Amino acid sequence: MWERLNNWLEVRIGVDDLIRSQVSEYRVPKNINIFYTFGFVAAVGYLIQVLSGIMLLIYYVPHPDHAFRSVQDIMLKVPYGWLFRQMHVMGSNLMIAAIGLHMLTVFVMGNYKRPRELTWIGGALLLFVTIAFGFSGYLLPWTQLSYWATTVVTSIPTAVPVVGDFVARILRGGDQVTGATLSRFFAFHVSILPPLFLLLAGFHLFLVKRIGISATPFGLPAEEKRPWTEYHKKSHVDGYPYYPRFFQMDMLMVMVYLAVMFFLITFLPNIFFPADATIPADPFKTPVSVRPEWYLLAQYQLLKIIPNKFLGVIIQLALFAVFLLWPFFDTEKEKNIMKRPMLRVLFLFAFILWVILMFWGRS
Amino acid sequence: MRRLVLSVLIVVVLPSFAAGGYKEDFAREFLSKTWVGERIEENACIDCHSSEQMKPAFQEIPDEWRKSWHAQNNISCSDCHGGDPKDPSVSMTHQRGFVGTPSARQVPEFCGKCHIGILKNYQESGHGKSLRASGKGPHCVVCHGSHNIQRANIEIINEQRCGKCHSYDRAMVMKQALFLVEKKIGVIEDGVRALRRAGVYSAEQERALFNTEVEFRTLFHTVDVSLVNQRTGDFTRKLAVLEKDIQDIFAELRSRRNFSAFLLLLFGGMAVLIYLLHRTDHQ
Amino acid sequence: MKRRSFLKLALAFLGTTSLAAFVYPIFRYLAPSAGGERSNTLSIAKRDIPLGEAKEIVFNNIPAVVLNRPGKGLIAVSRVCTHLGCLVQYDRENKRLLCPCHAGVYDLEGNIVSGPPPKPLPKLPLRVEGETIVIG
Repeated sequence: MWERLNNWLEVRIGVDDLIRSQVSEYRVPKNINIFYTFGFVAAVGYLIQVLSGIMLLIYYVPHPDHAFRSVQDIMLKVPYGWLFRQMHVMGSNLMIAAIGLHMLTVFVMGNYKRPRELTWIGGALLLFVTIAFGFSGYLLPWTQLSYWATTVVTSIPTAVPVVGDFVARILRGGDQVTGATLSRFFAFHVSILPPLFLLLAGFHLFLVKRIGISATPFGLPAEEKRPWTEYHKKSHVDGYPYYPRFFQMDMLMVMVYLAVMFFLITFLPNIFFPADATIPADPFKTPVSVRPEWYLLAQYQLLKIIPNKFLGVIIQLALFAVFLLWPFFDTEKEKNIMKRPMLRVLFLFAFILWVILMFWGRS
Repeated sequence: MRRLVLSVLIVVVLPSFAAGGYKEDFAREFLSKTWVGERIEENACIDCHSSEQMKPAFQEIPDEWRKSWHAQNNISCSDCHGGDPKDPSVSMTHQRGFVGTPSARQVPEFCGKCHIGILKNYQESGHGKSLRASGKGPHCVVCHGSHNIQRANIEIINEQRCGKCHSYDRAMVMKQALFLVEKKIGVIEDGVRALRRAGVYSAEQERALFNTEVEFRTLFHTVDVSLVNQRTGDFTRKLAVLEKDIQDIFAELRSRRNFSAFLLLLFGGMAVLIYLLHRTDHQ
Repeated sequence: MKRRSFLKLALAFLGTTSLAAFVYPIFRYLAPSAGGERSNTLSIAKRDIPLGEAKEIVFNNIPAVVLNRPGKGLIAVSRVCTHLGCLVQYDRENKRLLCPCHAGVYDLEGNIVSGPPPKPLPKLPLRVEGETIVIG
């Protein structure tokens, strides 16, 4: 029976050739390692978010009078509602962690260099979209934490003169966080950001396939030095076929991702729900400590310690610009980070600084 | 390319130093303040009563009030004493409803402005009658204090307080009558706290508890032991329903944990199997 | 080869179990609750509530009150005060609903007149069928 189905598809879309080129003969470099799976894990993470998000969408009501109650109903009244909500919450944080690990891997391996600058830019934009997802989704349960964290972050643009107030008002739909804010954040979260993400992800994946996977700089003798002056796809004729070898590694890391997710759901179900996340929003009562989510803490702390707010915002934008355009700043041909002590030091410094700022921002 | 980007960045960042003095007020009001602050309401009453010019007895009042359960629920000076907390010049005028300090006989109605259920029970009670007849007798402030008012609890009934006017045994009988229900209330309060710690939104349970607890304590103000004993059955029944509700929620939380632990084992197991498969294939 | 087949079989088994462990919750999540929520309606005879009077009822575990208002007809509102949950009482002389805990005052529509309550009293659906009042 499968034979006949296979035949039918073969005549129409050439299934055999497709499988051969994309799976069996698609080769990955011999020295590929487990860290190369993070991109795939992040993509699966996104898929989990979409599916659990769709489930939540069926019962969630995006109106300030009903948002909190509808989320509570999902947690307490709808059968297994708690499961999908927990997966969505844990998933949002784990996905950002997976993207972070992917980013670190690419950086350390030097895989952003020519000809892969566009891939890096696509990835940086994807990170930005993911954080926008996290930020817009954070408001939706309409808790004290949601409301006030959103108030703080939407007031950051006001530090920019002339356009700042206007930008903040567009973000909020008014002068304060209200139902108008909830509506537009919901619209973004559910209908604008998903296609944008898919577009960027498609672009990113297309480039990866088109240019070919970059080998790690370790383990093999140094690649021929570029300049890369004409297009040619990087293929690894003596590498391993993607299936089954690397597919197994991809699947292994996906299982690890899910195991971590369910470990959190079982043993630390409230790790992302401090006390303020269980109380409905009250515009007249500011909680004692207002903090954004962990992945924005370092940036927030940086803003707090720079006494001039305008300078603080400009520095943030400048840092983001440097991050986005990094392949144009680092055009050194050497890919092996172990042979580049200055970059190593710079990278370690930036990373440790980010971690310190994040922990500092927690208190 | 790199130089271009770098120079654009510098061109944008440098003016920000100048923009720091963009507008004097803006700089002072916004740029140097914290990002989000408490909305501090102005209160003329507290401003004057905390100042050095005020006599010591009155000066202590704002601090006393700050420790109270009223303060935690945003009930402040004008809610009881009238007057206008926003405008110091007319804050204590008759026109703004200022009532001043009530005399002993006026206290029950002073507090009864809000606590009307309790006022009704109190006025019909022996304590209320005594106050009306002789001008002496326990009014609200005698048992609950005036500014540092805490949440009611059974320990307010003690020898020191009740023994002031009559023998303590009458009060002891009442305390015994209240004991069972109060104990149950304590157990359920612990249960609700545990619910919150477990991350469950417990407003419904808190409301039901509050409702029952307040009705019971209002009843106490009749100082009628037989009535309290008669109604104890009702209250224990209501509280038992509430207790079962809370136990059910904890049972549900346990079953959820089991389900997600099961899924954890499944995924962990699959990870191990895939790893072994990988090793087998590629030794 | 034996080890390999065993591993593949075990993997298939766990995989199917995991899939089932998600399909079942998805199904339960989407299926509407069987039979609706508890009692759907409550019926009272019209003559039980003379003009100007009120009757306290319990509907779906919510204490409520049915009022027969002169000139405005029948209405059913929840008795649970939106402030902290005490039960409001019908004050016939002053034509209002009064909460004995902190003097929250509602009018006979359930709207807030004064006091600490943050929201009006929720109304219950009510219709009159002949000589019977049906709540719900």
